[in-house]
Amino acid sequence: MKCTECGFEAPVAKFRYLYNARIDASITLRQCPQCQAWLAVDELAGSAQQKVGPGEAPWGKSAGIEGLAKDAAS
Amino acid sequence: MAEPVKDLNVDDLEKKQEWWWIAEKKRSKRLDYLRKAVWKKGAVGGNYAPGIKVDLELPTLFTQMYNWWKFDPPMLRRAKANAHVLDNITIFITDHAQLVGYMGSLPHTILWRVDGASIVNEELYNEPGIIPEPVEENLKKIADLNSFWAGQTAVDKVARLLDPEDAVKFLSGAIGWGAPTSAYGYSGKDYEFLFAKRNGFSDILAMIEERLENAEDRTIGTPGPDILPLYERIQNWEAMKVILEAAIRYANRYARLARTIAENYETDPVRKEELIRLAETCEHVPAHAPRNLQESFQYDHFVQMLARLEAHEGAWPARPDYYHWPYYNKDVNIDKRLTRGEALDLVGEFLIRAYEVGGFGPRWAREGLQGITGTWVWTLGGVKKDGSDACNDLTVALLQAARLVRVSNPTFGFRWHPKVSDAVMREVFECIRHGLGYPSIRNDPVLVKNAMHWHGHPLEEARTWVHQACMSPCPTTKSGVQPMRMASATANCAKMIEYALSNGYDHVVQMQMGPKTGDPAKFATFEELFTAWVAQMEWIMNTLVRTVNLGRYKDPEFYGRPFLSATYERSVESGLDAVSPVGERGNCWVTFFTWVENADSLAAVKKLVFDDKKYTMAELVSAMRKNWDGNEQMRLDFVNAPKWGNDDDYVDDIMIRCLREVARHSKEIKCPCGNNWPALPENVSGNIHYSSIVGSLPNGRRLGDALYDGGISPGPGLDKKGPTAVLKSCGKIDHVGDGRAFLLNQRLSPTQLAGEKGYQLWKAYIRTWADLGLDHVQFNMVSDETLRAAQKDPEKYQEVIVRVAGYSAHFVDISRKTQDNIIQRTIQGI
Repeated sequence: MKCTECGFEAPVAKFRYLYNARIDASITLRQCPQCQAWLAVDELAGSAQQKVGPGEAPWGKSAGIEGLAKDAAS
Repeated sequence: MAEPVKDLNVDDLEKKQEWWWIAEKKRSKRLDYLRKAVWKKGAVGGNYAPGIKVDLELPTLFTQMYNWWKFDPPMLRRAKANAHVLDNITIFITDHAQLVGYMGSLPHTILWRVDGASIVNEELYNEPGIIPEPVEENLKKIADLNSFWAGQTAVDKVARLLDPEDAVKFLSGAIGWGAPTSAYGYSGKDYEFLFAKRNGFSDILAMIEERLENAEDRTIGTPGPDILPLYERIQNWEAMKVILEAAIRYANRYARLARTIAENYETDPVRKEELIRLAETCEHVPAHAPRNLQESFQYDHFVQMLARLEAHEGAWPARPDYYHWPYYNKDVNIDKRLTRGEALDLVGEFLIRAYEVGGFGPRWAREGLQGITGTWVWTLGGVKKDGSDACNDLTVALLQAARLVRVSNPTFGFRWHPKVSDAVMREVFECIRHGLGYPSIRNDPVLVKNAMHWHGHPLEEARTWVHQACMSPCPTTKSGVQPMRMASATANCAKMIEYALSNGYDHVVQMQMGPKTGDPAKFATFEELFTAWVAQMEWIMNTLVRTVNLGRYKDPEFYGRPFLSATYERSVESGLDAVSPVGERGNCWVTFFTWVENADSLAAVKKLVFDDKKYTMAELVSAMRKNWDGNEQMRLDFVNAPKWGNDDDYVDDIMIRCLREVARHSKEIKCPCGNNWPALPENVSGNIHYSSIVGSLPNGRRLGDALYDGGISPGPGLDKKGPTAVLKSCGKIDHVGDGRAFLLNQRLSPTQLAGEKGYQLWKAYIRTWADLGLDHVQFNMVSDETLRAAQKDPEKYQEVIVRVAGYSAHFVDISRKTQDNIIQRTIQGI
């Protein structure tokens, strides 16, 4: 996977797993080991979607990137 | 979303559902001042707000005198040390206040009970930002206090007695939390003794004096074994006397301060009169039974503060509309001494004074109770001892005042029953519609029956119940009141299924925790897995309950509660510490955090491994060890397996089977009173605290993800079949025989529930909920849009409140992870 911020490339597991409160979506939050950026990651595709800045949410219905994961719940 | 505009009129604000601005416009100037003048003591995320400092007067004064009386027995020694605190701690009166009393020397300070646990004391020393100026000097003072108490706090003493293996496993933090001592317990108050029987402290002192004289006569009389216990009890009665007399002096200090301000400094004649009234109030209570509403609230507040000066109490069991009603009725309706508006001001201030209370908690407690300092869940409504409706004008006033002051602590639990009037239900609904997240709704007939089933409370006693903490009912009577609910009987239940799938080994804390129940990769049937789960469940419950039972049994010796004992009828009669199990019926429960993950995980394994044979146990165990990394499609399959909350018998039957095993075991394990330990699924914000402690699970969760929001609530976003399906799943549980109580979170749409139609929809929902026999439900009624706006611009949404679990918090005070977890919950259309 390639970091969208610094271009660092490594297998997904090398990017530190943070969390995914939306259990039924495959968007997670991981941290780049090189630039420390927080990344929204599509776990099925194994690709970083975008950087998530401090205070922003990584998925689903939360503020920041509301549209990344389909809101199946409401 | 448009920016909140506080300049709009009330009608416009109601349309925008910005209830916090409405509250500001509607409340009196006094309430507005008092609400804004109060310091926020709850930790924001996990950290104390800027300006909050630990109070050093109490631990310093207490330690001085505790050391001085080193040869006294435990309760007397603590009584004298606490009396020294009451005689000397700095007191203050907030401008415009009509009620007084706080546990700290200044409004921005938090309580530190230095005699509770050395591990907490060390954490306090290292906590940045809360040490008062001059920091270096005070750090030295704290270090000296910590040195004195090292090895002799309540927890230090209990830990030395515990089985070493139990102690290590308990202290790992993996399977439970809390401390096995009343230093951090939740003590019920004997309201029947204090309020229903109208006993002031002078009345109690007279009772103690009579007992003392009788006992002393006997100890100089005919020798025999019957007089031997009296020697110790005489000293306990002396301790109760010491602390009650000190409490009366403490109240008189407030009276003197109020008079001093009134006579020497106050220029406003109206305020001067208020201060004189305040002085007269404190001269009368707690020494004597109250005569009016102000005295009644003040008496109650003094009792709560004095109990909190003695121990770090984590909850606030109370039933204000029931016990203060005679005084409200007399003042407002009979004598007309107070207008309803004046009474509402007093009620609002009563809530604010409770909101002000705060103590230092270790990080796990701050993470687990984000935004608050304890679970102050006050009980409203319900029935009287004869079964008739207990709701009254004060019930309504409390609900209205809550909407005006919008505090996150205390919250309310409302005892619903079929005779509650429509007018009261509308007031309950308005609080929920205003986004407070409370009251929670409790099914009174079910819970009265439940109290009789599990603990044998007689009917009249069971009907007095109040929330002992977030959820569990406990009576307020002589034999029913519980002095010490220790939070350490709180199980991190997700570990049950985790250990069943790891042969009892914990891959997060990296040690063998539970029993070795077999290599899960070799399980050939679902029954083998379920048998392993039962063994792990029993082991976790046993370990926690053993710890608490020991703590409870030794508490009178290791800690001792002179003030609490002096307010318990059974202790005043017997001369025994309130925490002694003698004379108590027993009302224990094991709090079940992270519970539903078990049923969802077991169902997913049954479906995909044993029924469909899509995966093998070896593949599952391997994916678990890798935290699902590289197995995303497999993880999604497990997520999409049958899930609790969709009225699906496949998983619901497993949930019921698990609960029946727990209920069976709950009757095998006993408390020090000889009574049962039923389970009570709920979470506070433990689902976030444990997110980095619980490993990956077969419900599709990874290590690091928040757990479900708790109780019997379905996983956030996993209840896809609507609110009736949620209720039907939950209705399959026997809410009397399967456990002590079951928390259910639901999110409702504020748009759908607007206006009269909204109320009627909600009322119909409650009817269905009641018909299905559920014992609890609570609601968040704040839109995703508002919550997202608050995430983006917290400064503008300081007053938005949400229901977290058994408590409410201001949304901006909880961590991002918890905020996200709440937003992900399904908004149910009803």
